[in-house]
Amino acid sequence: MRPILMKGHERPLTFLRYNREGDLLFSCAKDHTPTLWFADNGERLGTYRGHNGAVWCCDVSRDSSRLITGSADQTAKLWDVKSGKELFTFKFNAPTRSVDFAVGDRLAVITTDHFVDRTAAIHVKRIAEDPEEQDAESVLVLHCPDGKKRINRAVWGPLNQTIVSGGEDKVIRIWDAETGKLLKQSDEEVGHKKDITSLCKAADDSHFLTGSLDKTAKLWDMRTLTLLKTYTTVVPVNAVSLSPLLNHVVLGGGQDASAVTTTDHRAGKFEAKFYDKILQEEIGGVKGHFGPINALAFNPDGKSFSSGGEDGYVRLHHFDSDYFNIKI
Amino acid sequence: MAGSAPEGTQFDARQFDQKLNEVLEGQDEFFTSYDDVHESFDAMGLQENLLRGIYAYGFEKPSAIQQRGIVPFCKGLDVIQQAQSGTGKTATFCSGVLQQLDFSLIQCQALVLAPTRELAQQIEKVMRALGDYLGVKVHACVGGTSVREDQRILQAGVHVVVGTPGRVFDMLKRQSLRADNIKMFVLDEADEMLSRGFKDQIYDIFQLLPPKIQVGVFSATMPPEALEITRKFMSKPVRILVKRDELTLEGIKQFYVNVEKEEWKLETLCDLYETLAITQSVIFVNTRRKVDWLTDKMRSRDHTVSATHGDMDQNTRDIIMREFRSGSSRVLITTDLLARGIDVQQVSLVINFDLPTQPENYLHRIGRSGRFGRKGVAINFVTRDDERMLFDIQKFYNVVVEELPSNVADLL
Repeated sequence: MRPILMKGHERPLTFLRYNREGDLLFSCAKDHTPTLWFADNGERLGTYRGHNGAVWCCDVSRDSSRLITGSADQTAKLWDVKSGKELFTFKFNAPTRSVDFAVGDRLAVITTDHFVDRTAAIHVKRIAEDPEEQDAESVLVLHCPDGKKRINRAVWGPLNQTIVSGGEDKVIRIWDAETGKLLKQSDEEVGHKKDITSLCKAADDSHFLTGSLDKTAKLWDMRTLTLLKTYTTVVPVNAVSLSPLLNHVVLGGGQDASAVTTTDHRAGKFEAKFYDKILQEEIGGVKGHFGPINALAFNPDGKSFSSGGEDGYVRLHHFDSDYFNIKI
Repeated sequence: MAGSAPEGTQFDARQFDQKLNEVLEGQDEFFTSYDDVHESFDAMGLQENLLRGIYAYGFEKPSAIQQRGIVPFCKGLDVIQQAQSGTGKTATFCSGVLQQLDFSLIQCQALVLAPTRELAQQIEKVMRALGDYLGVKVHACVGGTSVREDQRILQAGVHVVVGTPGRVFDMLKRQSLRADNIKMFVLDEADEMLSRGFKDQIYDIFQLLPPKIQVGVFSATMPPEALEITRKFMSKPVRILVKRDELTLEGIKQFYVNVEKEEWKLETLCDLYETLAITQSVIFVNTRRKVDWLTDKMRSRDHTVSATHGDMDQNTRDIIMREFRSGSSRVLITTDLLARGIDVQQVSLVINFDLPTQPENYLHRIGRSGRFGRKGVAINFVTRDDERMLFDIQKFYNVVVEELPSNVADLL
């Protein structure tokens, strides 16, 4: 496959997200302007201007009409996807990290980092259908035991009954989304040994994949938090994604950005690595980035995927037919 | 090739080290010792709105130079800070300046000087971004722009001026920029600023500044001659220095192509062009006239290239930099005007069409790729006359420059 190189960000990529139909791709970077691309040919549709800091994460509503973005400028913003108009700003007093719409798009979960005397938190906000009626009230606020540890990702569980979170304290937690009670957390023995960097849900919400700086990705049952599979690589994992079509997972990462230029050029390992989900065996890799991979996403149709790197590029790969006939 | 570089040449490592030891030896009373390392920005005692700006910029953890370098600058100490290209020096001095400003006083309190207009504008952008929540007023005071506009902005009041020496001196002389409240003076690319070309201008500016002033000097290269000069205007500085043979970036793969003759460089470059255009590349030549010549030759062969050098008018230079940063143009031909400091995210290849005439510029040029978090590739075109110099560079900076493999596209 020959990748499409998408140039539009002037600083490192942080997150990638397709809409449900898979015809649109949203990218976030440290350059303040989330960008919208056609997912088939990589043509740029537009940008969302308004944030005043690095944008860490985004999500798009089921009908592709609303975009939500979380930024280090201490806000999360709602946008009209089509016009790029800013609809509402949630103001926090700490950098905003992860955002996720609930099923039905009436709620969103937003995480904020530790900042000065404010502890890291998971906020649940109600999303009004009419932007004029939107308010900033929190339905629920959740805190982890160590308030100084960043919560890198929080997403909705099945039927919006739970919230799943993971971050710097290495622990995956499942919370009751109604009461805020902690229902389950990952066992230290089988869980990640270092920061959890990324999390990707399966399309049917039955399981999810987490990536970690401990150089592994792990597959978990979404209801019981049972560890199902572990995928071992040789470098920190910054991003993970699950194929919606085949039993494949993809991991991306590379050595820590601060060490890239001062260590030997062979040490980077900025490849997207594919594994068989069931057998936990590496299938192959896709090279191209010259900085760590920070973001990965499969197109919902399973026929292409995108990666975003510290090098500022989004790379869009359409799979060859060979990919669909891989035998191990 | 046998033997070391001839005595007294630029690449004489023994003489470089000897001079460096002379400057540093027995001068312990000239330096302040400072060994603290701060592993997070929160631990540095920075004010809240500066922290807000640092995190909003996208920083999460301080780099090595930032861990050591921000706090002594914030304490008002003179500092000499050397670190490899692309490892966070600009954010170090910007944070140090911002921490110490009195924002209720809208007068110039810090002066930052850089050798080129492009670099001054880049620093101004970082300073503005980090200081956004503090309400910092920062102005880039560079040549080639409207003098009247500069005067208007400076008279309206700014907290920080980032400029090039010529324009800054002019504004000081005209009293448009008043020095009364300036308490911080920063030299970026300090060895260049203290070299023959700029030294007199720096001296003239320094004479106009208040007697008690904090001085910070920053560069990836710090030869003994530059260190010697700092003694004249710095007071017991905290120094962070890197050894000559540890300066190069291992993350940048360095190659040479033996082109035999000067006349064959152009053909070699055209052969590489398809590879160049995959990502963003900078091609360095040694003279302005040669930039124009090479640009014309490449374009006459239907290759799309951009070019910039010091003789071009400022508006054109600005447009070209903007196009290159945004990726509208991908191949940029230039002189050592852009060898220092310039940070463009997607540059992953540097070509030394001519080897640099100053040894330090070899490190600076290849440091345009291989910026923080990104690997890079550097390719040197070597004629028979250049073989000696390439050998000397390898020895001096302790690097290995291999012959270019045929699959160079795979490396990018």
